[in-house]
Amino acid sequence: MSAKGGGVQYSKIAEIKGPLVVVDDVENAAFDELVEVETKDGERRLGKVLEVGNGKAIVQVFEGTTGLSISGTNAKFVGKVMEMPVSREVLGRVFDGLGRPKDGLPDPIADKFVDINGEPMNPEQREYPKDFIQTGVSVIDGLMTLVRGQKLPIFSGSGMSHNLLAAQIARQASVVGTDDDFAVVFAAIGVQYSEAEYFRRSLEESGALKRSVLFLNTADDPAIERIITPRVALTVAEYLAFELGIHVLVVITDMTNYAEALREISAAREEVPGRKGYPGYLYTDLSTLYERAGKLNGKKGSVTQVPILSMPSDDITHPIPDLTGYITEGQIVVGRDLFRQGVYPPINILMSLSRLMKDGIGEGSTREDHSEISNQVYDAYSRAQEVRALAGIVGKAGLTEIDLRYLELGDTFEKEFLSQATDENRTIEETLTLMWKIVSKLPKNEITKIKDRYVEQYYKEE
Amino acid sequence: MTNPALEQTIDKILNQTEEGILSNIKSALNDSYQTLDDAVPRLEQEYDKILADGKKEADKIEKQIIGSSDLEARNKQLMALEQSVDRVFSQALDQIAETDRSGNYSDLIKSLLDESTKILGTSEVVVFTNSKDRDAVQSALPNYPGSELSPKTIDCLGGVRIQSKDGTMTFDNTIDARIERLKPLIRKEIAAKFGVTN
Repeated sequence: MSAKGGGVQYSKIAEIKGPLVVVDDVENAAFDELVEVETKDGERRLGKVLEVGNGKAIVQVFEGTTGLSISGTNAKFVGKVMEMPVSREVLGRVFDGLGRPKDGLPDPIADKFVDINGEPMNPEQREYPKDFIQTGVSVIDGLMTLVRGQKLPIFSGSGMSHNLLAAQIARQASVVGTDDDFAVVFAAIGVQYSEAEYFRRSLEESGALKRSVLFLNTADDPAIERIITPRVALTVAEYLAFELGIHVLVVITDMTNYAEALREISAAREEVPGRKGYPGYLYTDLSTLYERAGKLNGKKGSVTQVPILSMPSDDITHPIPDLTGYITEGQIVVGRDLFRQGVYPPINILMSLSRLMKDGIGEGSTREDHSEISNQVYDAYSRAQEVRALAGIVGKAGLTEIDLRYLELGDTFEKEFLSQATDENRTIEETLTLMWKIVSKLPKNEITKIKDRYVEQYYKEE
Repeated sequence: MTNPALEQTIDKILNQTEEGILSNIKSALNDSYQTLDDAVPRLEQEYDKILADGKKEADKIEKQIIGSSDLEARNKQLMALEQSVDRVFSQALDQIAETDRSGNYSDLIKSLLDESTKILGTSEVVVFTNSKDRDAVQSALPNYPGSELSPKTIDCLGGVRIQSKDGTMTFDNTIDARIERLKPLIRKEIAAKFGVTN
């Protein structure tokens, strides 16, 4: 889309309201058109048209309106929507939240310029996701397996170790059993400077930066930029996936900061607020991002999304996790209790689920016993939790022999399977072996969810 | 005086003790062999694990080294390319600045004015240009009723910048602005000439 007559600069600013600038006497502006706002001092800031009509245009300024005044500010309507220059060369690069280089290197030589709002995927063209992605994190690979083209969010809380986990996934993720190219697009939204540095260093030092693209919007960057960050990241991911045939994992942290920025704009536009002040279209807006994950018929690559969001007050019914959960295909929940116990990654498996896991595991993908051993581990850990609760009331002395076995299984599960070093990359074979070690804490007659032939093959009573 | 019965008893006890000790030694030896045999697979497992861990660590380090040196090389190449592109740009700009203003140049000015007034939607405009292009612009202005040439000159390579008479709308159609708008595409073309394609 391009506006007729692009490139005209208007100097009649009617109003500046929060992150918005209202420009008067505007002709031929288009919705979503890119605008260059020039301050009195000649500083240039980017924005986009939110509304046009009656000779006025409402412009959302990404870099904030601090320092702008009605007189002396000019708005140049560029005549095109915001575009991201894309090419294979973006791999290994670090950009800011608006897609400008942040690594001291020049702009990438673009193969093409792509509208950051993306093209909606034709549902007819979508291919059902069914290929395994190994993250190297046992609890994810073993119990809530990620598949290519899936969107699987991580629900966390403030102060918990979700960013460590995000970086670990970005460093370690790979596709196994194929020579296909794999890349990671990492978008940090509103993170602290130290976290942004950690992400960058961690990818650099592990050698994973070579196959990654980083978009870093730090907490002190203007909040409005956060609206753009996931969009530029997904635009690059789509290009890499569908034009270059690469399997791309997009890790976005933290989507809560994105929703906060959306709320800020909505409040400035005086829109009727929805739940907790978020705009009524939060669901629609989130879906425009999450639905950019997938696989297309006839295309080699895929876009897999792992958005991370911190739940305010650990409230899973908060609008952001609630609406995210409607759109995505399962969730990984980071548990406060496990975090307090010092377990890393503190994933509460009983609240977590990957809805597409069943199609991405088993013979030919991971191993033939994966589905059954996973069900058995879920079942056993769930029973272990019940026994723990019971032991809290009656004491260990009041437990039966089998209850004690479950209790021991729960401890082993958390210490040996769930707990993992941040630089420990476990293969799926290692993960499955550990799962059998957990299950082997139980007598054979307690193993009810696994076929006998697998029990004979893998069970090793201790 | 010896007591044969006592000596016999002592011999018997000695023999029994000796047998007991020998049997214990033998059983200890067997136990040791057994322990040793049992330890072998565990040792082999440990050995394999240490080797596997070592290999994993070595792979990790290899990836790190290769990854960072690849990136370093690529970044140096990018910087070198950018410098070359900049050099081409600045030479091209120098040549444009020295363009001969005679011949078809007035057609270029006319087309820039046509485009600019069309975009602003009016010909009642003030036109700004540099000192070199003043004559060409002045001679083209009669075709645009209501337009006037600003006495102020602007610093640019060539072309025009027009402003509505109330000063609220401006359109920059200088050669500098056009180059700036097309710069990403021009960079791509220059890079392609250097043999860099994506």
